[in-house]
Amino acid sequence: MSRRPRDAQFDRELQYHIDRLTEEKVAAGVPPAEARRQAALEFGGKEQIQEEVRDVYRIAFVESATTNLRSALRFIRNSPAFAATVIATLALGIGANTAVFSALDAILLRPLPFPNGDQLMQLSQYIPKAKSSEPHVAPVRLEDWNRMNSTFQEITGYYTQDVSETSGDIPEKLTQGVVAPRFFSVWGIQPALGRGFARREDYLAGHIVAVISDQLWRRRFASDPNAIGKTLRVEGFTFSIVGVMPASFRFPDRTVDFWSPAIINVPISQAREATWFTVIGRLKPGVTLAQARADLATVQARLGKAYPKTDAALAVRIEPLKQVTVGGVRPSLWILFGAVSVLLLIACANIAALLLARTADRQREIAIRYSLGASRLSIVAQLLTEVLVLALAGSAVALALAIAASAAFRALAKDLPRIDEIALDARLVAYTISCAVITTVLCGLYPAVRATRRTLAGSLALSSRTQVSGGSPLQWLLVGMQVALAVTLLVGAGLLLRTFQELGRVSPGFDPDHVLTFRISANWGETANLNRMQQRVDRELDTLRHTPGVEGAATTLALPGIQWGVPGEFRMVEGTVDPNRKIIALPRVVSAGYFEAMHIPLLAGKACSADRPGGVVVNRRFAETYFAGRTFLGNHLAAVPANPYVPPAEIRGMVADAREQGLQREPEPTVYTCYSAPVPSPAIVVRTLGEPMAMAEVIRRKIHELEPNRSLYEVAPLEEHLHDSLAEHRLRAVLLTFFGLTAVSLACMGLYGTLGYIVSLRRREIGLRLAIGAVRKQIIGHVLREGLRASALGCVAGLILAAFSTRLLAGMLYGVGALDAATFAGVAALILLTGTMSALLPALRAARVDPMQALREE
Amino acid sequence: MAAEKSDLLQGTLDMLILKIVALGPVHGYGISLRIRQISKEVLQVQQGSLYPALHRLEKRGWLKSEWGESENGREAKFYHLSPKGRKQLEEEESNWQRLAGAVSEILRARATEAES
Repeated sequence: MSRRPRDAQFDRELQYHIDRLTEEKVAAGVPPAEARRQAALEFGGKEQIQEEVRDVYRIAFVESATTNLRSALRFIRNSPAFAATVIATLALGIGANTAVFSALDAILLRPLPFPNGDQLMQLSQYIPKAKSSEPHVAPVRLEDWNRMNSTFQEITGYYTQDVSETSGDIPEKLTQGVVAPRFFSVWGIQPALGRGFARREDYLAGHIVAVISDQLWRRRFASDPNAIGKTLRVEGFTFSIVGVMPASFRFPDRTVDFWSPAIINVPISQAREATWFTVIGRLKPGVTLAQARADLATVQARLGKAYPKTDAALAVRIEPLKQVTVGGVRPSLWILFGAVSVLLLIACANIAALLLARTADRQREIAIRYSLGASRLSIVAQLLTEVLVLALAGSAVALALAIAASAAFRALAKDLPRIDEIALDARLVAYTISCAVITTVLCGLYPAVRATRRTLAGSLALSSRTQVSGGSPLQWLLVGMQVALAVTLLVGAGLLLRTFQELGRVSPGFDPDHVLTFRISANWGETANLNRMQQRVDRELDTLRHTPGVEGAATTLALPGIQWGVPGEFRMVEGTVDPNRKIIALPRVVSAGYFEAMHIPLLAGKACSADRPGGVVVNRRFAETYFAGRTFLGNHLAAVPANPYVPPAEIRGMVADAREQGLQREPEPTVYTCYSAPVPSPAIVVRTLGEPMAMAEVIRRKIHELEPNRSLYEVAPLEEHLHDSLAEHRLRAVLLTFFGLTAVSLACMGLYGTLGYIVSLRRREIGLRLAIGAVRKQIIGHVLREGLRASALGCVAGLILAAFSTRLLAGMLYGVGALDAATFAGVAALILLTGTMSALLPALRAARVDPMQALREE
Repeated sequence: MAAEKSDLLQGTLDMLILKIVALGPVHGYGISLRIRQISKEVLQVQQGSLYPALHRLEKRGWLKSEWGESENGREAKFYHLSPKGRKQLEEEESNWQRLAGAVSEILRARATEAES
């Protein structure tokens, strides 16, 4: 019914009443005019009645919402301590949740920051029979894939190299992305300034072009729009700048300074054995991953027939690019999100308990509202509005907390993929608000329903103060639940902390102290003359070794202690002990002086030596695994499948085991190939006498004297690399510990609050007990026991829960089992201790009750 | 807000209205007249309370209304009881009886006390 006709009708209804009153008076003998006047007077303010009737019909929702809001604000004003507790608890719960969600959302949930990012796939080649193989694809094969497939819009590829740019006074190391044709169009991102590459620029034509990154543009050209047309001088070539990419484009990672086309029409890029590109393709709309995989399998099968020698054994692997980029951190993030969700649940239980206590106090108010004709629904709505207002206030604080937290998050985990994409936006605000709504329902609904359950007569009769019993089982259940969840979180945190501690205690088998690491810029073009490249590297090493303050220097393909590469298969040229057993070992390439510089002891034979190039050295685990005590020095090892770059080599020595693949990984059987220049810029390790970083400048000058056109980069002590390699462990351990401790404080607050409430409810009973001769100590014991019972039961439940849930951490633990008794016991002790402490205050308060006063209060 | 302004007697007023309407379809004027007559002028219902109450009861679905010809031949809005309203009335009546019984019980108890 719309308002207008209703008003008119109501007008008629009232007019009828007034007319009848007038008639009544006329019948009694009053003159009509006077009768009308008296009737109107007697009837009272017509407008006011009209207004009140309108109130009855006001659009119920809006009207009651504002009323509820007003009464909620009044309620908060009247109980600021309660409101502050709820807001703080929720701010913590929702804030932690939002902070982790912001990372989860940016890293895992959102598509990659490219148009239709979910169409982007990474393609790689592999040999199904081999345990490991080279995933990088030859330029010609990439072009074949791009031409022959029917499921991709376009396929492109890239590799990066660190080069030296020499147009300034001092050479500057830049990271160059060398890209296959169609690069920018596959990403779907155009340069912010200038243009991308033209088709003809993929061919060597004397004119070499580059598109620079936003950061290089800012750094070198001070954001000058006229940078287009300027040049970069790299390794003897001049690159003309044709475009500047937007700041958001940081592919393959944020370090890339410029992109330039790979020149694909020179002889070196025609070999099908070449392993150049990491391959990226963009699917056609509507094509599924399975279709693309089937399509490329067919394409590669055809190539296998056309080029049996190089392509027959290969297969194509296709994975969503997002999966490749962020797959590694997925478990950690979900674990953290699970942890903060548990935290939020604890916060909810906490508030639910507070509200239960609170609504019990408000029975009278509710009873009165009932007697005034309010419906149950409207009272529930009013109680929920109070919680919602608190929850919204809490989530506003939470949002501020989350913003602060994400800064901390970035500092803790700067190497996490996509960490730059974490940002406060409408999505995050929406998430926070939905958190508030969900918590409102979770913690507000039941107390509200329960508070309004009593019948009118019943609640008028009820007065909580006259009752002796206090505290519902539900309240204890909530406390127990909080304790149980907090225990679960703490056990998880404890296990991760122990892992971290164990990792710190591990002896890596090499000595990372006093080792400086860096690289010297070089170009992949140098691989055209491997001899010259090796001579250059050896010359650099020689200079370093003769620098005062340097104890030893060596190159290595990968830094020790940091995961790199995968094990490969080898073959003994002279035959193996057990011909059926494949030799699988980690291939590493190091120069002479590596074992000496890293303090890895030589156990037998000779280490890599500059006097006698070539040969391999194996570690003890390799010798024990594959030779079982037989002599092996002088035997020859060859790679499987045969690799022209790695000819069979003599085993010259055996060294002790070192954790080359990371502190948390047991040493694996390892084959060290003695070769100083496996890549143009191998990692260089320098053992220094003093503080490693103090030597950096001396070394930089020495290298500059030797090679004025090369620059030093990635200069850092080895300790720092090891520290960074544990970043994810650290992040998990630190955050989970923080969440666990927060959970415990919340649970303690819950226990304290509930006990305190029960004590206040039982003042009379306690007073009575004291009056009839109970000793205060007994009262304290009684309250303490009650608190302890709840925390002990919660603790047991939590330990059981933890025993099941710590399995989720299985892959993240080191040196400690998922059911580590010490951790479980430690957590139990901590919980019982804090539980007792939080029960102590209410217990003491109970003991201070003055019996006379408590009994007289009624 | 209407609820806040009204006094505690409102529950009683609702019950009285339901009772009068239960006797047969009647308009607002008729209700105020009947209450006056039956209570022998003890209870006077203000129009300011009567009409909001009528509309509230209608909105809750306890009363239904329709326009019809009144005894003096004019159009008036007649209220009658819905089945839901009948149940509500029974409930309120029994509540009232209990309450009244309890109150008079107490009053009687005082009297005996005074005698002894």
